[in-house]
Amino acid sequence: MAVEEIPLAEQHPTAELGPTVQAQRGLWRDALRETLRRRSARVGVAVLGLLVFLAVFAPVLAPYGEREVLIESEGLRPRTEPCIHVSVDWVPDVVVLRQVESFLESNGFSCPSAEPQHLMGLDGNGRDVFSRVLFGARVSLLAGVVAVSFAVVIGTALGLVAGFFGGWLDNVLMRVMDVFLAFPALLLAIAIVTARGPGLFNAIIAVSVVTIPVYARVVRSRAISVREQDFVAADRALGVSELRILTHRVLPNSLTPLVVQGTLGIATAVLELAALSFVGLGGDPDQAEWGRMLALERNQIFTSPHLVLYPGVMIMLNVLAFNLIGDGLRDALDPRLHR
Amino acid sequence: MTRLRSGLVMFVALGLVAASCADDDEGEDSDDGGGGGDFTALAYDESDQCGQDPYTGNLAQLEAVDELTVRFTLCNPDVALPAKVAFSSVGIHPAEHLEETGGSPIDNPIGTGPYRLEAWEQGSQIVLARNEEYWGDPAPTATVVFRWSEESAQRLIELQSGAVDGIDNVGPEDFATVAGDDSLQLIEREPLNVFYLGFNVDTAPLDDELVRQAVGYAIDKDRLIENFYPEGSQVADQFLPPGIPAYEDGADAYTYDQDRARELLAEAGHPDGIDLGPLSYRNEPRPYLPQPAQVASDIRDQLSQVGITVSLDEQESGAFIDNANAGDLGLHMLGWNADFPDPTNFWDFHFGEGGTLQFGTGFDDLHEVLTEAAGTVDEAERAALYAEANDVFMQRAPAIPIAYGGSAVAFKAEVDGAHASPLANEAFAAMSLEGQDQLVWMQNGEPSGLYCADETDGEALRVCEQINESLLAYEVGGTEVIPSLAADMPEANDEFTEWTFELRDGVTFHDGSALDANDVVQSYRAQWDAEDPLHVGRDGTFTYWGALFGGFLNPPPEAEA
Amino acid sequence: MTRLVGRRLLSSIPVLFGILLATFAIARLLPGDACEAALQERADPQTCEDFNRRNGFDQPILTQFGDYLGDVFTGDLGDSVRFRRPVMDLLVERLPVTLQLSAAALLLAVVVGVPLGVIAGYRQNSKTDVATIVGANVGVSIPVFVLGLVLQYLFAKELADTPFGLPPSGQLTAGTIPEPFYDAWGLEKNTVFDFVANFDLLNAVLIWRWDVFVDAAQHLVLPALALSTIPMAVITRMTRSSLLDVLGLDYVRTARAKGLRERVVVVRHALRNSLLPVVTVLGLSLGTLIGGAILTETIFNLTGVGKTLFDAIQGRDYFVVQGFTLMVAVVFVIINLLTDILYTFLDPKVRVS
Repeated sequence: MAVEEIPLAEQHPTAELGPTVQAQRGLWRDALRETLRRRSARVGVAVLGLLVFLAVFAPVLAPYGEREVLIESEGLRPRTEPCIHVSVDWVPDVVVLRQVESFLESNGFSCPSAEPQHLMGLDGNGRDVFSRVLFGARVSLLAGVVAVSFAVVIGTALGLVAGFFGGWLDNVLMRVMDVFLAFPALLLAIAIVTARGPGLFNAIIAVSVVTIPVYARVVRSRAISVREQDFVAADRALGVSELRILTHRVLPNSLTPLVVQGTLGIATAVLELAALSFVGLGGDPDQAEWGRMLALERNQIFTSPHLVLYPGVMIMLNVLAFNLIGDGLRDALDPRLHR
Repeated sequence: MTRLRSGLVMFVALGLVAASCADDDEGEDSDDGGGGGDFTALAYDESDQCGQDPYTGNLAQLEAVDELTVRFTLCNPDVALPAKVAFSSVGIHPAEHLEETGGSPIDNPIGTGPYRLEAWEQGSQIVLARNEEYWGDPAPTATVVFRWSEESAQRLIELQSGAVDGIDNVGPEDFATVAGDDSLQLIEREPLNVFYLGFNVDTAPLDDELVRQAVGYAIDKDRLIENFYPEGSQVADQFLPPGIPAYEDGADAYTYDQDRARELLAEAGHPDGIDLGPLSYRNEPRPYLPQPAQVASDIRDQLSQVGITVSLDEQESGAFIDNANAGDLGLHMLGWNADFPDPTNFWDFHFGEGGTLQFGTGFDDLHEVLTEAAGTVDEAERAALYAEANDVFMQRAPAIPIAYGGSAVAFKAEVDGAHASPLANEAFAAMSLEGQDQLVWMQNGEPSGLYCADETDGEALRVCEQINESLLAYEVGGTEVIPSLAADMPEANDEFTEWTFELRDGVTFHDGSALDANDVVQSYRAQWDAEDPLHVGRDGTFTYWGALFGGFLNPPPEAEA
Repeated sequence: MTRLVGRRLLSSIPVLFGILLATFAIARLLPGDACEAALQERADPQTCEDFNRRNGFDQPILTQFGDYLGDVFTGDLGDSVRFRRPVMDLLVERLPVTLQLSAAALLLAVVVGVPLGVIAGYRQNSKTDVATIVGANVGVSIPVFVLGLVLQYLFAKELADTPFGLPPSGQLTAGTIPEPFYDAWGLEKNTVFDFVANFDLLNAVLIWRWDVFVDAAQHLVLPALALSTIPMAVITRMTRSSLLDVLGLDYVRTARAKGLRERVVVVRHALRNSLLPVVTVLGLSLGTLIGGAILTETIFNLTGVGKTLFDAIQGRDYFVVQGFTLMVAVVFVIINLLTDILYTFLDPKVRVS
């Protein structure tokens, strides 16, 4: 199953339904403020901010190109250990920095300024890991977001239709969703990628397909509660079209659980993409993508741990950020937790 | 031979056997011998099928001349028969057991080997126990346990933590770790494989010989070996690896010459470079290619330096093989591991008449020379023909051989008799560990079945080699053919079409029954005749039979295209 | 109650049929076939054609599906093309491994997660709360295969010769073949007994071999630990928010107003009710773990459902893919049902309605 738990908001569907879109906007501003009040969410936002910063400024920050092979130009072997220039003159003579220096030196990470600096060492093809980590931020951050966005759009459409119109359509759609949910998510994703061929694009498709039912379910239960509300009956009496009711009443009221579930879903998506790379379905080894970088070097974890550590930490930060933000959003949007 | 005649021969042979028994040092009576009359020799004469459609095989007759003598008669001369007969897929099983299991002893094989199968915990381990009645020196270690893991890091950590005593396929980056660890020993395995860059010569622009040759000159093989292969690997200069007979010393090969590559490209009409489309490969580590993704990436980089553009096309393993078979790959990376040490094992499958479609329709001149070489008996002539094949191969360049991939095994330092076999035939009966009566070995994967006639995976073959023996064997840790169940090397007639094997006397199977020539004949027959009731196996493909003896009797009809 | 169960089971049937159809379709959509997957470089078209014919894979696809459907209804899940054994046998062998692993992981997650969640909920928005939540999230954010590798390195290599050393993988020490309990008790072997005997821990207890039990437990610690980080975060979060929910309710305020000690208030009154939603989560988590344990099984070399399914997908072992997926879905449906029944018993509100 792809869903981790039934969000509280789904358990209590009558909470905070509002008749107008206008009131919703005020709700969002409050929600945002409320989210940021929680410290753990602040941590999440900070981490995400850092990652986005790295992604945006990667070309500037990266000392080398993403695909630049250094075997001949620098005469270094692949998988060379990190080499950090610690004894630079302009570093002030502060105790802490000196301690850092000696730590790095005693662990073999420092190197004289004559040698080229590679903060995170070289990967299996002789490319600079630090640069690839930076460039990888672009792909890895986007991949999770794209996978979830795609699933949210389709899932919402399905859930709206099923929940609002009910009847046999609802039945059929939900049975189909159940079938997908009964598959172990990762294995279904593996099957899809195996059928289509390895690659990031196919992996994103697989992860999306696997999570569509989650969002469909969430939106459907909201749609069901909304359609019973008075203001919907009033709308109908006034002759408002079904489509307009869907988009102006049902949809806005479904957004809150969607946002929460979606944010948490990005975290899951990133992990699943990494898992797909791990089992060898990641595709293009030249492209810098954290999951792929980690997967390519996993058998070197004991001999060259830096190759697994750095992409692993980045994935962890990526997932952590979205988990914390999603948690915060959930708490903020559930009125019963406001004290 | 008819049954009547064979009986007569047997009677005569018995006399000879009885005479030799008197000289026998052991003084043991063979179980079935001497009594006479019990033994009804099996014999099969299919010589009328030689060269007749649909039979493509080379075996004409197979007979138990007497209880301890087996004769093979071939349609055409084959000087490599001993090397083939030593292979694990033609291990000898008791005829009765084959019948009992319906031709499918895949989880309960019975053999004559130094170990017998004690238990197979599916998914976890295989436990072998010493055969106390072994005809040769009993194994020093009482129990051998096989375990498996696909991850090289995991195998290493099992070894380092002491949970296992030996591992297969040490990761290329772990060689240094093992070598530097005093409690472990690293043993390199001579490369008997080849890694190549292949072309489908039917599709443009790969159909231009000059383009293919340009690629050959553009590859920096040393850089690949240096950076992506473990110690013991070598640059490939021909399709055969050293260690295979007819390997040509000092063969002409493509050197790393970027200028020449650009020249050839210009000559072919592409002075500004060319796009060769996808470079297809699968991310499946193999002995000839332990780091597929990294090598593909580097090749792409190298080719781009002379203006050849390729895009990396990583395919899933099953899909890749499917495409290779169908001839749907363009530029691709693949390789080959030796099964038995003979040039036909490498050449014929890939570039012989009726070989794979991987490279397109192939070249007639290459077909011709390979067919001739396979049928030649004289060693010197053979070598010359294969040298000619090398020249044609280099000119036509359906593939560029790049590397012979070395691999290694690692054992605890205290393991006596630890060795690596170039054919991946490690013999555990030669190993012992002081103070331990159990030896634990960890390889890459679990056998799918233990009836070696119908297995192709080295993981399965290694296990069943401990249990079943063939008429001949490869020496421990090498490729030299030595006697095994046959007491001596076989006698051949002048044309190399008739081979006679004398079995050892007094050999018993793990179930106590005695080994006789009928067991040999039946073991072979079950594979040879596709319509034999015992031709069942695990998945019924008996792939190695085709490679060793050319084809099946009564093969299933070829389906319509 | 019976109506609920009956209705659930009835509505599961179309879903199970859908799963059969979907798995069949997906399995056959995979390019290549079992023969090529097995023979690798040696595969050639003629051999594989014969192979497919012998195994009935050359029949029209609808015929094959019809045959398969008929077989499933009579309880025959087909044979594994690779192992030449019934899929049911493989299932009986491998499902216990995954169930044992998942249960151990869940146990660890509960033992650690519930107290953490209570602490975090009780001190809402304090440093402890933040630290707990961030900590639990870090656990779930580390890819389980990285965590597994790190744990292996730490406990199997660095701490190898200490009392903290743990084996890096596998189910039991090499060479150990524990006697199945039905043999020890002189019982006739049957499928159910076989299934039970494949739970190493349970079997060891049944044959009264403490050493085997300890061996099995030692091999289970690291994988269970790695796998437990996933449900642990969920359980911590769930406990925390559920507790917060309950702490705001009237009867708690009443208890406090009555002057009861804080600890009594929390433990006796609030905790019990707040654990209810956690039970739901446990059920869902078990389902997730069963399917999701594939990475842990790969790292720790445990031949469970996940690893077998993955190998079968790679090896195009159609019947294994179809049969195992179906079984996992069935197990999932059963777990869901049991969870709902349990919830009904525990929550008086639902019972009454």
